[in-house]
Amino acid sequence: MTALDLADLTKSYPDGGAPTVRGLSLSVESGSLTALLGPSGSGKTTVLKLIAGLLTPDTGDIRLGGRSIRDLPPEGRRVVMVFQNPLLFPHMTVAENVGFGLRMRDVAPNEVAARSAAMLEKVRLVGLGNRRPVELSGGQQQRAALARALVLEPEVLLLDEPLSSLDASLRDEMRALILDLQRETRVTTLVVTHDQTEAVILADRIALMLDGRLVQHATPEVIYGRPVTLAVARFFGGVNFLPGRAAGGIFHTSIGPLVLPTGVTDGPGTLTIRPEAVRLGPGREARPARLVSCTFLGTQTRIELDLAGTRLQALTTPEALRGLAPGQEVGVTLPTAALWVLPEV
Amino acid sequence: MTERTRIILMLAPAFLLLGGVFFSALGLTLLRSFRYMPVIGLTEPDLAAYATILASPGFLGSLGLSLWIAAVSTLTSAGLALAAALLLRQTFPGRRLIGFLFQLNLTVPHVVGAIGILYLFSQSGAFARLAYAGGLIGGPAEFPALVHDPFAVGIILQYVWKEVPFIGLILLANMQAIGEDHEATARSLGATRWQAFTHVLLPMLMPGLIAASALVFAFAFGAYEIPLLLGANAPEALPVLAYRSYTDVDLAARPEAMAMAMIIALIGGAMVLVYARFARPMGRGRHAG
Amino acid sequence: MRGNALRLFAGLALALWLVLPLVPLAIWSVAHGWRFPDLLPQQWSGNAWAYAFSPGSGVLESLGLTVFIATATTVLAALVGVPAGRALGLHEFRGKGIVTLILIAPAIVPGIAVALGLHGVFLRLGLTGTVGGVILAHLIPVIPYMTLIMASVFSSFDTDVEAQARSLGARPVQVFIHVTLPAILPGLMTGALFAFLVSWSQYLLTLSIGGGRVQTLPLTLFTFATSGRNDVTGAIAILYILPGVLILLFTARHLTGRNQSLAARVGA
Repeated sequence: MTALDLADLTKSYPDGGAPTVRGLSLSVESGSLTALLGPSGSGKTTVLKLIAGLLTPDTGDIRLGGRSIRDLPPEGRRVVMVFQNPLLFPHMTVAENVGFGLRMRDVAPNEVAARSAAMLEKVRLVGLGNRRPVELSGGQQQRAALARALVLEPEVLLLDEPLSSLDASLRDEMRALILDLQRETRVTTLVVTHDQTEAVILADRIALMLDGRLVQHATPEVIYGRPVTLAVARFFGGVNFLPGRAAGGIFHTSIGPLVLPTGVTDGPGTLTIRPEAVRLGPGREARPARLVSCTFLGTQTRIELDLAGTRLQALTTPEALRGLAPGQEVGVTLPTAALWVLPEV
Repeated sequence: MTERTRIILMLAPAFLLLGGVFFSALGLTLLRSFRYMPVIGLTEPDLAAYATILASPGFLGSLGLSLWIAAVSTLTSAGLALAAALLLRQTFPGRRLIGFLFQLNLTVPHVVGAIGILYLFSQSGAFARLAYAGGLIGGPAEFPALVHDPFAVGIILQYVWKEVPFIGLILLANMQAIGEDHEATARSLGATRWQAFTHVLLPMLMPGLIAASALVFAFAFGAYEIPLLLGANAPEALPVLAYRSYTDVDLAARPEAMAMAMIIALIGGAMVLVYARFARPMGRGRHAG
Repeated sequence: MRGNALRLFAGLALALWLVLPLVPLAIWSVAHGWRFPDLLPQQWSGNAWAYAFSPGSGVLESLGLTVFIATATTVLAALVGVPAGRALGLHEFRGKGIVTLILIAPAIVPGIAVALGLHGVFLRLGLTGTVGGVILAHLIPVIPYMTLIMASVFSSFDTDVEAQARSLGARPVQVFIHVTLPAILPGLMTGALFAFLVSWSQYLLTLSIGGGRVQTLPLTLFTFATSGRNDVTGAIAILYILPGVLILLFTARHLTGRNQSLAARVGA
């Protein structure tokens, strides 16, 4: 069931530049956790503010459960946005912060207190309710900000870069908390992030934005293995691109013909393969290559290969490289199942 | 050189100068207000000067008037400045012009503002002429007394004219530092525009507003030349009375003048404490933003 | 939109109110008699300005003296305010609260509270009636402003730059001239402008310490304002606000953006 439906949203800022959001349409399943992924400046935060009602779209519609909320003020939507910084109100205690939204809705004081306390427990801030926000650590502040939003039991929760203001050591903890709470409450959640790894770990589905447009909306596996454009492939760490032409199930490139998986239409295109899918060693399909360089990355080693003048990158284990040194010849296999052809050249 | 020595050396020149001028003057004022003047044979400090002025209707009238001026000027200026700052935060045509006029006003000395108010609001001033032209009054005497009047309207108008931009600019700078995300968060959490203002923005602005108001109160209470130009003959504002008593030919009035100066200093000191309590703390610990 | 019209109207009213008191002053300065109930003068004249600029009126002399006093006060305040501001802005130390209180009090406590006692102190030192005495008196409200502005400047100054310069072989004096001073200069200029304007506006401290022998522009202005020469008063008033306006126009660039205004830097 679709919970949140964005239809052809456009938003420009008064400074006259290109629109920040351009004709964006996106349907988010009820109860799902979707990552809105894109580089900084791609308009992700603007999309959240449009959904939250903090900005008004120039064109397009926003529907929640089939009903348009486009013209409702922020307080009239059951949508809560949590900003990148915790933005706890400094003149209120932590508990008062968490109860803020309930108080604005004139919920009875004892109910506010009870629900705030229960929420503080869920985000593991028991006993800190009477502190001032400045007395909390960064991670605690972020958790309080999350509690302040979830206590309202919103239909849609919008999180803007929830992990980016945290130290690396706190990120895992916060990420786990977000996942736990989302699973427990089943609140439809949209998380903005610029970090593809984070998006992959957090989200059921990823909506990828580039230059104000939605370019692909799919599961992480699909976007990872079958990007729709070169830009998407590059954003997801794609490094191997071979221009050529597909004809009758064969892709003709500078390193020779490659057998394609079924379903690729004939014509010019760019073939891509993830570096970790490139296999080293002898084999029936192996092609001769020269090892150019090795970079030890810890659990993996990144190597650069030269196949008849074309450079490819591969990720492999240190064990697989034992006995090999730069300059030596090695067999390379590009498995058919891992090949993907983009319709651009 | 230890850090402590360095800090002391850096602070010393300012302390010596202010000590030599400001604090020695306050000290002498205090001694004189206790009627300690060995030169003319007064070697036994007492509180007679304070007793005299506190029993004098003239002094109490002046004190009351100055408190009235300071309180009304401060409250009016703070309220209007808040409204002006909220207005200037928005985008609308002419915003930059008003921003410039705010800063311009800041550079205009109070005396000039006072004379301007005099020429605007006196019974033969610009507004009286407009009222005459509009047939509202038949002559200067019919125009309400807005300067040299018992309620000090002219004096208050002058302070409001000068202090609205002063407080307004402080509030604008604070608003800029606070940003709009706290309000946006409040809206997203279900607060209406008004609730976001009263529950979030206003409380966050309050320390700055109170600190600025303390400065305005101290100034409006203790300024001399503005009530001298715009005030009524009786009661005079306290600073005017104090200076007149000091320059009185009767030397016996001097300890009383000094006692009045001490009372003004006390109220000023109270405003220093209010300011220090609410102004943003300085230095490294300060919140970045 | 209704909100826009309302904002525009409020903005217009505010702008009008901000310039209104200056209007009659400007008109008076070029009026030849402007009797009730004329809305505008019947005759215009440059007499007031001619008189103000004539040697006999003493206005130009007064202007020069005021510029001198304000400049000297500013320089002295900078000499003591920069190090004090550095101590407050860069260091945390025991008693900092009290030190700050002592440094800001002289700007907040009204001049009348110290003017009388200061007159007594300066009488003994032979400083009453002298320009030097007036400058010292002006330092009372000026030093706090300078110190606070410099403290705010130094609080965002990274001393590692100085350490880096030392490590590259610069002597302390060279470090100050080539590294520290350029870094704090914009803030120092703001402080100097503010100091100048605070001294420029002093009335009571000049009156009480100068005892009528140090005739700065506000004192001259006051004399004419209370003697009924409205035209000359108007001319002097315009002359008196001119430096502030010029300073503002020249520094408009510096005062925009984050350093919104002089007052904002001092006030909060």
